[in-house]
Amino acid sequence: MNGLTGFFPLGLVTNGLMGAFPPGLVTGAVYALLAMGLVLIYKATRVPNFAYGAMATFVGFFHYSLVTGKRYAINVHLLYVRLHLHAQPRLPFWGAMPVSLIVAGLLGLVIERLVIRPFAKAPAVTLIIVTLALATVLSAITQQLFGANDLIVASRNAIFPRTVALSVVGVKVSYEQAGVIVLVVALAAAVFAFFRFTSTGLAIRAVATDRDVASLLGVSSRQLSIVSWLGGSMVAGLAGIALASLLVTSNPNLLLTLTIKGFAAAIIGGMTSFPIAVAAGFAIGVVEELTRHLFPRFAGAPEVVTLGAVIIVLSLRPSWIFRGIRDDQDSGVTAGGGAPTSALAKRIDPAEAFRVLRAAVPLDGPVMCALGRWRWVIPAALVALAVGFPLLPLPSFWALAANLTVIDLLVVLSFVVLIGWLGQISVAQGAFIAVGGAGTVVCAHVVHLPFPLPVFGAVLFSIPVSVLVGLPALRLRGLHLVIATLAFGLAAQTALLPRFSASTRVVIPSLLNSDGAKYEFSLLFAALAFALAWRVSTTRIGRSFRALRDSEIVASAYGIRPVRTKLTGFVLSGGIAALAGALLTYQLGSVSTVYGSVFFSITWLSQSVVAGITSIAGPVIGALLFGLYPQLTQGSVSASHLSFLPEAVAGALTIVIMAINPEGLASMSRFVRSRVSAFSTEDDELLAIEAATEAATAPLPEDERELVNT
Amino acid sequence: MTAKLTIEGVEVRFGGVAALDGAGFGVEAGQIVGMIGPNGAGKTTLMDCISGFRRPSAGSIRLETDNGAVELCGRPPWERARLGVGRTFQNARLFRSLPIRTSLLACQHDRMRRSGFVRSVLGIGGARADEAEVAARADEVLELVGLTTHADKPAGELSTGMLRLAELASVVAIRPTLLLLDEPSSGIAQKETEALGPLLRRLAAYLGATVLIIEHDMPLIMSISDSLVAMAAGRVITTGRPEDVRNHPEVLRSYLGQSA
Repeated sequence: MNGLTGFFPLGLVTNGLMGAFPPGLVTGAVYALLAMGLVLIYKATRVPNFAYGAMATFVGFFHYSLVTGKRYAINVHLLYVRLHLHAQPRLPFWGAMPVSLIVAGLLGLVIERLVIRPFAKAPAVTLIIVTLALATVLSAITQQLFGANDLIVASRNAIFPRTVALSVVGVKVSYEQAGVIVLVVALAAAVFAFFRFTSTGLAIRAVATDRDVASLLGVSSRQLSIVSWLGGSMVAGLAGIALASLLVTSNPNLLLTLTIKGFAAAIIGGMTSFPIAVAAGFAIGVVEELTRHLFPRFAGAPEVVTLGAVIIVLSLRPSWIFRGIRDDQDSGVTAGGGAPTSALAKRIDPAEAFRVLRAAVPLDGPVMCALGRWRWVIPAALVALAVGFPLLPLPSFWALAANLTVIDLLVVLSFVVLIGWLGQISVAQGAFIAVGGAGTVVCAHVVHLPFPLPVFGAVLFSIPVSVLVGLPALRLRGLHLVIATLAFGLAAQTALLPRFSASTRVVIPSLLNSDGAKYEFSLLFAALAFALAWRVSTTRIGRSFRALRDSEIVASAYGIRPVRTKLTGFVLSGGIAALAGALLTYQLGSVSTVYGSVFFSITWLSQSVVAGITSIAGPVIGALLFGLYPQLTQGSVSASHLSFLPEAVAGALTIVIMAINPEGLASMSRFVRSRVSAFSTEDDELLAIEAATEAATAPLPEDERELVNT
Repeated sequence: MTAKLTIEGVEVRFGGVAALDGAGFGVEAGQIVGMIGPNGAGKTTLMDCISGFRRPSAGSIRLETDNGAVELCGRPPWERARLGVGRTFQNARLFRSLPIRTSLLACQHDRMRRSGFVRSVLGIGGARADEAEVAARADEVLELVGLTTHADKPAGELSTGMLRLAELASVVAIRPTLLLLDEPSSGIAQKETEALGPLLRRLAAYLGATVLIIEHDMPLIMSISDSLVAMAAGRVITTGRPEDVRNHPEVLRSYLGQSA
């Protein structure tokens, strides 16, 4: 930039602003490309595909491994047979393109068949959790197959040459950048034409307008689902390839971040309008670049702007935004009552399984009786084990693993409070870990509070943030709320974490000089948080949460205030997560960037769902299963052999659990019992009617007769 | 405690259609008033206006109790519930995952005035007494509607008939002074409908509440109402004694679609 013009503020502004347009359009093209595929799938199937970025990453990694000629080798040792299979396929960029797109299409078909179809009639919230879980599975598979390192696309493998093509307002634009913009616009035009002029496109529009009427008119929603997943997944593949080239690098986390922006654009288009979604994608890109130019020193400014834009647009509720969206009346979080909706669950009959089990294992009689009487032994033993853990003669890294497990426990608890009890699905819990960490640092080193107080300070610190996150929830639910909270999480991740992580270190007080002491310290606070949550769940506050989760309308008809109840839940949940953040900061000595990321929040969400999102036992199961176990198994493994299997398994389990029993492992036994008793309700019903008849016809007792007379 | 309801000139429009076109009538304290009318007459819309789930574009809805008169329009549903307006829904709605007894406790949320967040969590300052009180109340109403044996079942597992009873129990538990019942007999078997009339009378007597009830089952509504309000096309056609309203020429015409 010219030094002289830079001297004048006006010159700086205009120059800066104009200069922001070309890169803004490039970024916008990225968002538009992602938004397009999201809309394509949502329009036909009403599935908000949060796995979209992961699908794109998978195809991107696959494509460039084909272009660079990655070597695949499998060694099989089976008794005397020794097989060594290896292949090193290699194709030029455009030669690999059809192969990659076919793989993308196949991936879409497999996902549609295995993951989406079983949930055809599930509530929106279930689909959100399922596709988020799918995202973690796909990312883990990608990293397992193609390596944990970021993908780097060399210039010779770029989609279009990276040489300068033209210069716009003093900004150099490469063939690659211009090419991608043209590609996106052309693709948008093609997709738009597809919807306008083909019968399949018309059918999808019909389904998007009214599902039931469309199916009555003979439109097969299953066929459309297949077509849209095929197409949507190919667009995702193309996006994955083009983006990796354009950004030079790619990894699952990056694509997830970008997908959130894509969702922001798609949601502004009401999840159904291609032109608005594409335009919004470009607009968000340009606005972000402008912000970057205006506030060059403010890391995360673009994300904050996107977040603000999304929340403002959603809160203004222009009519088109809600036209194509399915807005479930209730929260959709399942918690007992009624049969499961998915096809898979109908095929598996837990009642039958339970009977078979009872027949096979003769547990009746004295064994069960003894188990019933000594029921308290197991929890008591667990508590004793938890408290005495550091005293056990174990390798030293166990104490660290145990402490991180306690922190895991708190995060899952915060999910349980917010999603399981209150029915508000938020993916911003990681942000609260960041807030808790930042609060600790501020309280300890800016306000100079003496040692245990910064922990409380961090929790207090989180209250206004909770209210801020909770405010959109007063007007939004389901998909809109998830996207608003994702945008918030992203803003916190980019704007808050870098400020507090690397540079600021918390001085660890002498009391916490060992990992064992840190563990006991965390355990004490976790116990307090659990006691609080348990009291809340069994009293008036918890009941109002659950009433609101089941039906906001009915709850308010009985005098429960939705606004106050929701904010209470957000504050409670945010406080617990911030507590986890504070404890984590004392463990690590600084604010963790990993734990505060959106990506981590999503993994945690999956784990919470598997463990049991509605039950207070869920966090314990979740922390042991997904916190302690992987840390112990990985503690002895070197970083280069990191396995992504635990994440993949947790994600896959989430999907299976959602299909069988959305309440998770913690309530499996109750679930089975309810299915068994479902068979014997018919007799009871007749009895109830008789009882009601009797009650109604019985003469009034004395005291009530007086009531009538007065 | 008794409540008198006065509705004046309530208007609701859906696009160009007037769902309520200046509807108005009064309900005397302690009366059971039935609302009849063909589908689309605006009965449920009017009930939604009274309970706060729909905002009328014009008109006033006033509730007079021993504590004085209040204008209901413009207040959110939860506030009306606190002022003593209780309602049931046409499609029998309750908290589907909560066991009936828990639902009954949740419904009495507002009655637990001594149980703020801190007091609830610590179980101090009357919070325990509140809990005991609402629990006793829940058992009482469960017995009143004959659901004691089903108290631990979640609402989502109940049949429509039992769900109706549970919903009635819930709304009785909050001790409304004005009870709004939207088609309590819809979706339940004939045998249950016959038991419903005496049960509703009994509940009204128990509460001493003013009751406004929408019902299509003529024998039921004739047997329990002190007076009837007939509606058609968003207006009140006539009000008065049940026999008079039923035989009113305009009521017959709106029902049968012929000039009587």
